Amino acid sequence: MGIGIIVLIVVLAVLFLVIGFIWMTYNGLVRLRNQVKNAWAQIDVQLKRRHDLIPNLMETVKGYMKHERETLEAVTSARNLAQKAIGTGVGAQAKAEGELSSALSRLLAVVENYPDLKANQNFMALQEELTSTENKISFSRQYYNDSVLTYNNKTQMVPSNIIAGMFGFKTGEFFEVTAAAEREAPKVSFG
Amino acid sequence: MDCPACKGVVVVVEYQRIELDYCTKCYGVWFDAGELSLLAERLDLRGAALDVNQIAALPEKKAAEKARGCPICRKKMKKVTLGSAPEVLVDVCTRGDGLWFDGGEVGQVLGQLKDKGAAADEQGRVIDFLGEVFHVRG
Amino acid sequence: MWEQIRSNQTRTLVLVVAMGLLLLLVGYFLGEAIFGSGIGGLVVAILIWVVMNLFAYFQGDSMILAISRARKISPDDHPRLYNVVEEMKIASGLPKIPDIYIIDDPSPNAFAVGRDPSRASVAITSGLLERLNRDELQGVMAHEISHIKNRDVLLMTFCSVLLGTIVILAWFGSRMMLFGGARGGRRSSGGGGGYATLIIVAVAILLMILAPIAAQLIYYAISRKREYLADASGALYTRYPEGLASALEKIAGSTQELKTANQAFAPMYIINPFRSKGRAASDLTSTHPPISERVRILRSMAGGASLAAYEKAYQEVRGSGRGVIPPSALVGETPVAARKAEAVPAEPGKVERARETSDLLWKYSNYGLVNCECGTKLRVPPKLRGSSIRCPHCGRVNPLSSRP
Repeated sequence: MGIGIIVLIVVLAVLFLVIGFIWMTYNGLVRLRNQVKNAWAQIDVQLKRRHDLIPNLMETVKGYMKHERETLEAVTSARNLAQKAIGTGVGAQAKAEGELSSALSRLLAVVENYPDLKANQNFMALQEELTSTENKISFSRQYYNDSVLTYNNKTQMVPSNIIAGMFGFKTGEFFEVTAAAEREAPKVSFG
Repeated sequence: MDCPACKGVVVVVEYQRIELDYCTKCYGVWFDAGELSLLAERLDLRGAALDVNQIAALPEKKAAEKARGCPICRKKMKKVTLGSAPEVLVDVCTRGDGLWFDGGEVGQVLGQLKDKGAAADEQGRVIDFLGEVFHVRG
Repeated sequence: MWEQIRSNQTRTLVLVVAMGLLLLLVGYFLGEAIFGSGIGGLVVAILIWVVMNLFAYFQGDSMILAISRARKISPDDHPRLYNVVEEMKIASGLPKIPDIYIIDDPSPNAFAVGRDPSRASVAITSGLLERLNRDELQGVMAHEISHIKNRDVLLMTFCSVLLGTIVILAWFGSRMMLFGGARGGRRSSGGGGGYATLIIVAVAILLMILAPIAAQLIYYAISRKREYLADASGALYTRYPEGLASALEKIAGSTQELKTANQAFAPMYIINPFRSKGRAASDLTSTHPPISERVRILRSMAGGASLAAYEKAYQEVRGSGRGVIPPSALVGETPVAARKAEAVPAEPGKVERARETSDLLWKYSNYGLVNCECGTKLRVPPKLRGSSIRCPHCGRVNPLSSRP
């Protein structure tokens, strides 16, 4: 009894605190890294949804837009290119999707000249879906970037950066809109 | 909703995208506050004369007609007159839920509509709309 | 970032603890005054509180939805509403899209319920749904989803249970003392401890009167703070403060009161469902900050959409150095720009939105549809007897065969 026991208790307590800190920080980092992964998956889901919508849109629009062959073909080919770009890396995919976005907004700008089409129930429903998908893409990108920011802060700030370094947590990459086409696309229709 | 005058079954009549509630038994018509404001906007009538709350603030009209409860909030409605030549006696919900035109009142509107050209004031144009919707009635 | 809004809320915590202490005080003194045992009173108070909490936790959301006569809608019933909610689910990172309910009421309002983010619901009145355009609807839903994400629903449920327990205890106490004859009175007639008893009874009576009022004021203070926070996160999610601002303005224009509102759930709504005319702006007895002020803050965000931009606008508009966003939420935040207003050409207009909403309500009430050849539509309630109906516009007799 005496000093030995007290020292032992103090050492155990410190050890307990250190292990507790490592444990909690590690779990926090894992949670954030998973959040980033999920956010990335969400972007993919929305991009795919947009690809799926386009054939329907083309089918509906075709009958009304006899004089817009080029605009229509641009959308279809942009969609096919975007389809092919899946899995070719963030930059390439973002570029292809950007082209698709601008082809689509050109199409929807032209729709203004076709009042019959605008009044078509089927088209109105499709346009709502398309507008919303466009929103969902940008919101999922926004959430992804927010998640990456939180995760990166955690991996770089003291003291959690020590744990991140120890277990090899790498910082995440932001989803920047690299395609010039998308940045400059006249956003006519997508609210 | 039940007819505030005779408790008959009320059907909804949608004419030019405006909904009116119409009693199949006594032919009375309920004009909901929201629908009235939609119609006012459509006709481009921005005046306060068509706001249900403003109509409810009009002086009470003494009439022999029985008092009626609002079909929405059940409170007793107030009797006021709308328009000028012809004046139409209506019941208005004091809470602002809407207007009730008795079957007889709608008939009166129909009778007088033919004598007159375009109605001068805003309330007259709403009455004209009613006349147009209930062209034939039950 | 905003994950931290729910933690480190010292001021909210202090207020909640104050309410809890108030409950204990009421329990103790009422127990002492009525059956001569402060501990007994405490036990009763805590027992009532626990039971009510359990009920609120497990049944609270379905009860509120049932009382409001809310109907759950499917994605096909109102695709735009469903889409907007899903967009905000994505922007906020909720694990699951909340159930969506619609309330048949011309008064414009909306609320969120649900004890945790994976089991939540949002409800909107038909009156609000038909009034808002897409951006405004998005703003309102962002505000509601912020309440879910910030765990305000759980916090406010917890607080309203505390408040409810205090009110119930005070009510019981006053009835027991008036009609049952206070135990303290009898004991004092037996002699001994007369003064002490008198003081206890006096304190108990005072608490009975004041505690419910004090609890209510605390409750309102917590609620107002959470409203600002939900506005701030709503602006962040949508990146478009103007949407919520203009929605709030439209809501403020209406004077209709909600038919099914209940005082206890008032903080769950986007605006206070009980609006008496001429109520002072910063009134202590309001669950919500004045709408005009909320709109002004949102419009003063100067092209930003971050929590920091809201904080700055809040301080500007209120003219004080005190903020509303917990400092921990502002750490590491990068400035974000608000989205520019864009014209959406194919958006349904006012009348179309009204028809969309009322069609939905007729469908839920099992009304049959008769399309007359003259273009007039007749919607027939299930209770209408007979096999045909005459169109009041053109006089054609239409069969009633197409009824469900």
